[in-house]
Amino acid sequence: MLLEAKDLSVVYGRTRAVDGVDISVGEGEIVTVLGANGAGKTSLLRALQGAVKPSRGRIVLAGRDVTNGSSAARVAGGMVLVPEGRQIFVSMSVHENLLMGAYLRRDGGIETDIAAIYERFPNLARRRDMKASVLSGGEQQMLAIGRALVARPRLIMLDEPSLGLSPLFVEQLFSLLKDLNRDGIAILLVEQNTSMALELATRGYVFELGDVVLQGPAEELLGNQALVAAYLGGGEAAPTEIPPHAGS
Amino acid sequence: MLIAQQLVNSLMLGSVYVTVAVAFTLTIGILNFLNFTIPTLFMLAGMMGWAFAERGLPFGLSGPLPWPLALALAIVVAIVASLVVERFTFRYLKARYGDATEHAIPLVSSLGFLLIFENLVRIAYGTDAQRFPGPEADLSVEIGGLFVRLPQVVSLVVALAIVLALTILLRRSNIGRGLRAIAENPDAATILGVDVHRIVPVVFVLTGVLCGLAGALFAISYGEVSPTMGDDIGTKAIAGMVVGGLGSIWGAVLGGLIVALTETMTINYFGADTVQVAVWGLLLLVLLLRPQGLFGHNAIGKGKL
Ligand SMILES: Nc1ncnc2c1ncn2[C@@H]1O[C@H](COP(=O)(O)OP(=O)(O)O)[C@@H](O)[C@H]1O
Ligand SMILES: [Mg+2]
Repeated sequence: MLLEAKDLSVVYGRTRAVDGVDISVGEGEIVTVLGANGAGKTSLLRALQGAVKPSRGRIVLAGRDVTNGSSAARVAGGMVLVPEGRQIFVSMSVHENLLMGAYLRRDGGIETDIAAIYERFPNLARRRDMKASVLSGGEQQMLAIGRALVARPRLIMLDEPSLGLSPLFVEQLFSLLKDLNRDGIAILLVEQNTSMALELATRGYVFELGDVVLQGPAEELLGNQALVAAYLGGGEAAPTEIPPHAGS
Repeated sequence: MLIAQQLVNSLMLGSVYVTVAVAFTLTIGILNFLNFTIPTLFMLAGMMGWAFAERGLPFGLSGPLPWPLALALAIVVAIVASLVVERFTFRYLKARYGDATEHAIPLVSSLGFLLIFENLVRIAYGTDAQRFPGPEADLSVEIGGLFVRLPQVVSLVVALAIVLALTILLRRSNIGRGLRAIAENPDAATILGVDVHRIVPVVFVLTGVLCGLAGALFAISYGEVSPTMGDDIGTKAIAGMVVGGLGSIWGAVLGGLIVALTETMTINYFGADTVQVAVWGLLLLVLLLRPQGLFGHNAIGKGKL
């Protein structure tokens, strides 16, 4: 396995956001994580990337235990997160944002890789020296993904990348993910767009209140959409009220 | 002609304010932290420069050193002191309580370090002002009827060069981008591999370099140092930073020069007693009319470098 997390828990104050989860992503695989708002998907990805410290569990990346390592160690180890809400640097130019993806790289191939990103996203190339704040939502998402790609990941994790995008951009996004995977990059995708995510993925996990309640091959989950939908809480009362931002 | 001469004089005085104001701006812009030890770092460089040049290294390790070497060592002392402050205020807090900037504690502890450093210097070298044995501070040339003092010209050139170097570092280098990324969005920066624990000391090293250099330039230009030399410069530099706009480096440069100009002009026309009233009156006026300062983007400085 490229990435393997065992018994992973994330706790904020009194909120248990992720509760002893086992999850794995194989080399070149596309895995999707589904779940209602507040299920703990973002917390899971942030713990995997090292942005929050898990309260329990182990994370192994390409055979190396990175549980107590920094985020930087994971980026260097080939894992990079495209965070929820894109989080591009709006005070920097498009080009500088891409260079941030290469922050830890010391090799000579950075400019070549950025040129390849520009080729893939001509809109970014045209706005190369403009502040990233002028980009449209879809372009910002492309920039966030481009920035992650400049880090040369073996595994890219995306947190709700289609959120707020027009249907046309969502189509483009999913075909981009397919392309990236064909180039050998493994993908861990958190999505609200259940059916598109399951059609793209090889395997899926369904989260509810910090627990994995359903998992299996994507085809199987696709065939069981009614059950998946039930866990996603569509229409039902929101899961237990949890005070936002308790503690910390 | 008199006005032109005043202008020249304030440019010289301004070079010290500018350098210290930029040091304040850097820590506020990147760490959202008003670092009160900055005036003491400035003082440390001046006083240690004098001590090394007059008395040699402490504990009789050497005799008096040539003044350029003494000043170079004094700048190193300022850098080391700055790192000590980082180690015991910022890093400690960050590790224990998460985001240190949310607490008033770094501010208060930096105030504590200000007093500790200042009093250590007093204990070691007394409270008196001391004459710095550098080049003749009055060495001057006349250009078109204007008297220009050479050590102060050098100060101004060095101050502007260091600020320019700093902006180039922030714009063009990988570490500079990392610092700006931390300033704008620490979370996104961390995710991309910027290690806050490694990069925060860089801010403190730069602070030490700026303050150390300012202290050295002050010693050369004015030929006199004292354990309290940081107090006045510190408050004027803060005024300059706010006038220029929090978080804007070139704003701090201009603000520092404006404060120096205000100071020279008021001394000339109204006498030395009116300086503080004029400088702080100007500051309040700017805050009233343009709260973000002349070059600031908004009233909050963080993330604009
Ligand atoms: N920084 C935080 N501090 C406190 N609670 C948080 C924080 N981030 C998330 N939570 C809580 O953790 C739970 C899981 O949130 P999250 O991981 O964002 O879920 P999802 O991404 O699936 O919507 C929620 O109850 C949320 O309110
Ligand atoms: Mg989320």
